[in-house]
Amino acid sequence: MTIAVLFITLFFCMFIGMPIAIALGLSSVTTILMFSNDSLASIALKLFEATSEHYTLLAIPFFVLSSAFLSTGGVAKRLINFAVDTVGHIKGGLAMASVMACMLFAAVSGSSPATVAAIGTICIAGMVRSGYPQSFAAGVIANAGTLGILIPPSIVMLVYAAATEVSASRMFMAGFIPGLMMGLILMIAIYIVARIKGLPSQPFPGFKKLARSGIIALGGMMLIIIVLGSIYGGIASPTEAAAVAAVYGYFIAVVGYRDIGPMKGVAWQNEGEGVASASFRNTAQMLMAIPKSFADPEVRKVVLDASKVSLMLLFIIANAMLFAHVLTTERIPHTIAESIIAWGLPAWGFLIVVNILLLIAGNFMEPSAIILIMAPILFPIATQLGIDPIHLGIIMVVNMEIGMLTPPVGLNLFVTAGITGQNMIWVIKACLPWLCLLLGFLMLITYIPQISLFLPEYIDSLNGY
Amino acid sequence: AVAAPIEIKFSHVVAENTPKGQMALKFKALVEERLAGKVEVAVFPSSQLFGDNKVLEAMLLGDVQLAAPSLSKLQKYTKQLQIFDLPFLFKDMKSVERFQQGPDGQKLLSSLESKGLVGLGYLHNGMKQLSASNPLKVPADAAGRKFRIMTSDVLQAQFEAIDAVPLKKPFSEVFTLLQTQAIDGQENTWSNIYSKKFFEVQPFITESNHGVLDYLVVTSAEFWMSLDKELQVEVKKALDDAIAYGNGIAAEKASEDKQKIIDSKRSEVVNLTDAERQQWVTAMKPVWAQFEEEIGADLIKAAEASNQ
Amino acid sequence: MVDVMIKKVVSHLEEGFLSLLLVSMTLLVFVEVVARFGFNSGIHWAQEATLLMAAWFVLFGASYGVKVGAHIGVDVFVKMLPANTHRFFTLLAIVLCLIYCGLFVYGSWIYLSKMKMIGIEMEDIPIPKWIPMSILVIGFVLLIVRFLQLGWKVVIGQADGFHFADEAEESMEIAKDLQDTALGDPENKDSNKDKGDKS
Ligand code: NA
Ligand code: NA
Repeated sequence: MTIAVLFITLFFCMFIGMPIAIALGLSSVTTILMFSNDSLASIALKLFEATSEHYTLLAIPFFVLSSAFLSTGGVAKRLINFAVDTVGHIKGGLAMASVMACMLFAAVSGSSPATVAAIGTICIAGMVRSGYPQSFAAGVIANAGTLGILIPPSIVMLVYAAATEVSASRMFMAGFIPGLMMGLILMIAIYIVARIKGLPSQPFPGFKKLARSGIIALGGMMLIIIVLGSIYGGIASPTEAAAVAAVYGYFIAVVGYRDIGPMKGVAWQNEGEGVASASFRNTAQMLMAIPKSFADPEVRKVVLDASKVSLMLLFIIANAMLFAHVLTTERIPHTIAESIIAWGLPAWGFLIVVNILLLIAGNFMEPSAIILIMAPILFPIATQLGIDPIHLGIIMVVNMEIGMLTPPVGLNLFVTAGITGQNMIWVIKACLPWLCLLLGFLMLITYIPQISLFLPEYIDSLNGY
Repeated sequence: AVAAPIEIKFSHVVAENTPKGQMALKFKALVEERLAGKVEVAVFPSSQLFGDNKVLEAMLLGDVQLAAPSLSKLQKYTKQLQIFDLPFLFKDMKSVERFQQGPDGQKLLSSLESKGLVGLGYLHNGMKQLSASNPLKVPADAAGRKFRIMTSDVLQAQFEAIDAVPLKKPFSEVFTLLQTQAIDGQENTWSNIYSKKFFEVQPFITESNHGVLDYLVVTSAEFWMSLDKELQVEVKKALDDAIAYGNGIAAEKASEDKQKIIDSKRSEVVNLTDAERQQWVTAMKPVWAQFEEEIGADLIKAAEASNQ
Repeated sequence: MVDVMIKKVVSHLEEGFLSLLLVSMTLLVFVEVVARFGFNSGIHWAQEATLLMAAWFVLFGASYGVKVGAHIGVDVFVKMLPANTHRFFTLLAIVLCLIYCGLFVYGSWIYLSKMKMIGIEMEDIPIPKWIPMSILVIGFVLLIVRFLQLGWKVVIGQADGFHFADEAEESMEIAKDLQDTALGDPENKDSNKDKGDKS
């Protein structure tokens, strides 16, 4: 009865178009008022606790902010140039370079649609100009773009960590190998198609230019090194590393690349300027730029955009915590787990059910909402069946990747349609062959837990566990 | 008609297999045995209901009837309870017990009344030890190093007294910070060092017994006064028995967990000579004077007297 | 005229306050890391302050989120309905949102009054707890205001739904910024600008 009230209210509220945060909150409050004698005051207390006592959650606004800085302007361009210089000379090289650029961008951003937009805009047009079919280019990018949430840092992983209290840094490490693997699988598939269809390659630019574009791109790529380096190098916790990343994102965008903000268009070295005077001028300008940033419309817009996304996520999470609270006190996951075990469903069978459920949910809901509703239910069941929580997390993330490519709600589809100017049906068809590849990858991830668990466990073993 | 039984919600933040968790279950069993039909107890472990920071507020709102937060968490309700954080005040758990059961310790139970809470009894965890990434023999070994502390002005002063750097970090972050040595050390009881796996990332544990980490079982004054006298006595009796039971487990667990840590060979236990220990005492004892005014000199004297 | 002016000022204040909270949180945590790693010291009130700012950020921001459509939701189903039915369900959803806010305003008020009566201080910052907690009531009252405004817009036909944030749409802004960039051109237009980068 309690389960019915909770879920019927939730889905009713959601489907009449209420904000998901409030749908979660209202269904929880209704259930509490009907089936327990908790006071409204203590529900308010619970919500305040959810917003003010979860330090690890702060990683979310911090990473959103760093992503926002790194998604502006030319970070994507520089990563793409580097990728083209690296693998562009192989058959199908431009497409492979696009995948590589998506992987690199994924390592600085926590969002998949942003990855598609940033890389796709430049790469799809570039590929078409070099003689690739547009649908091929669009399909590759839409798929590779999903890596944004699998390669760390990832907002979706942080949300999962928040919902299940697993360690965010372990989740990040767990996403690394699957992310690289998926990228490689895509590249190999591209190579095979390129051989068959005789797709073009770029001239090799020479090692000097490769090194140069590498160094230029390093400014962006350093982010992942800073994040993982400061966690494992004994400088910061994952939450703190996220704040460091946000500050770094600001510096690289505003002071380093100067794509936005008060130093936009200021050259590092003017023509005919000596090194000494250039250093002096740059230092002075940088010191001036920091206070000026507070008034700069572009910088302010980045911060405000990040604020909107963060407060939306944190408000959902706060309400989802009320929801999880109802689930635990009413022992709902426990009840479901018991009946699943009573059916005699083994771990592998459970994982099939999980995948199907998540794929269906992925059709019409967004990743963070799905994770916040499903994780507290699936997590205790998985634990009982002996499935590692980190492994379950990666399975969920890969399912969310697929959800970005399935209609009617598929963020990557929307962005790809927007970039190419094609209709949704065209985009869905373009993505389909690559989507099958992603489904095969999901099977690999689901039934070979070592792919996800190897790296976090290896790092643990280095620390002597 | 028979009146509906009174419901007691007992909310705590640890697992059921810990001394506190066992104590809560024991209390439930005793009440159900002795007060069947009159009082019902529901135990909510592992922060299912509320975390330690909010449980007292929920209690004031009447949504929780029993909780057992650590004494440090109660310092905002009464400054006097800071006494339990003073370094080297108690020689061992026997002294702690003597003080708590004595007239002054019992009087402290009612020090929360102006804030709407009533202390019902002390529950032990144990004496605190110092763990770190380097061996701490004398206070100078800790100088300049970073230690994680719970929120408590006394504990902050305690580490400042030995020129160490006290840092407040949420519990969820502590393990990673210790593991990567972003923080050098922390203080805790044997059973916490074991159950939170700190011994896996802290190669040295100094058996300093420099302080005590205990809990206070509290209820709201409003709820307590709503019970009739007879029932109050019965509930208090069941609670006392449960606490005695829990304290027994805590004492056992402290020595067991210490042994498990030694057996794991992950961490070396550093023993102090009397001279070394005296150096720690000398360095930390000035903290007493700092808080004498807030706690009360008489109370500190009484606590000290429990050491014979 | 004055009306528009006030709206602009309110927007500016809201946006400025939210941005300020996010930036302060980030910088405070950053400074803590620098203090610990670089200067071997801690800021004893930082943790409490950061978490408080987070609570203000979320609870104050929720209503701003309604105003600018930052929240997410599932509107594929209602959008398939005929316009009038769609509007009916939107109004129903708004009424339910108002009930949600009402319940929380009531609960928060009791909670806050109790805290004010007991008079406990924050742990590290010497102010009474109920003061920072008042954002609970403030936040939900603001949320009510925003939902009433939205409801009115739906009634007079200026809006038909919540206008949920669309990550896809926002990502398209990135695309717009990058649109005129060429790829595969060996002498890229901006390679001149990059000269000396990281030198
Ligand atoms: Na990412
Ligand atoms: Na989808």
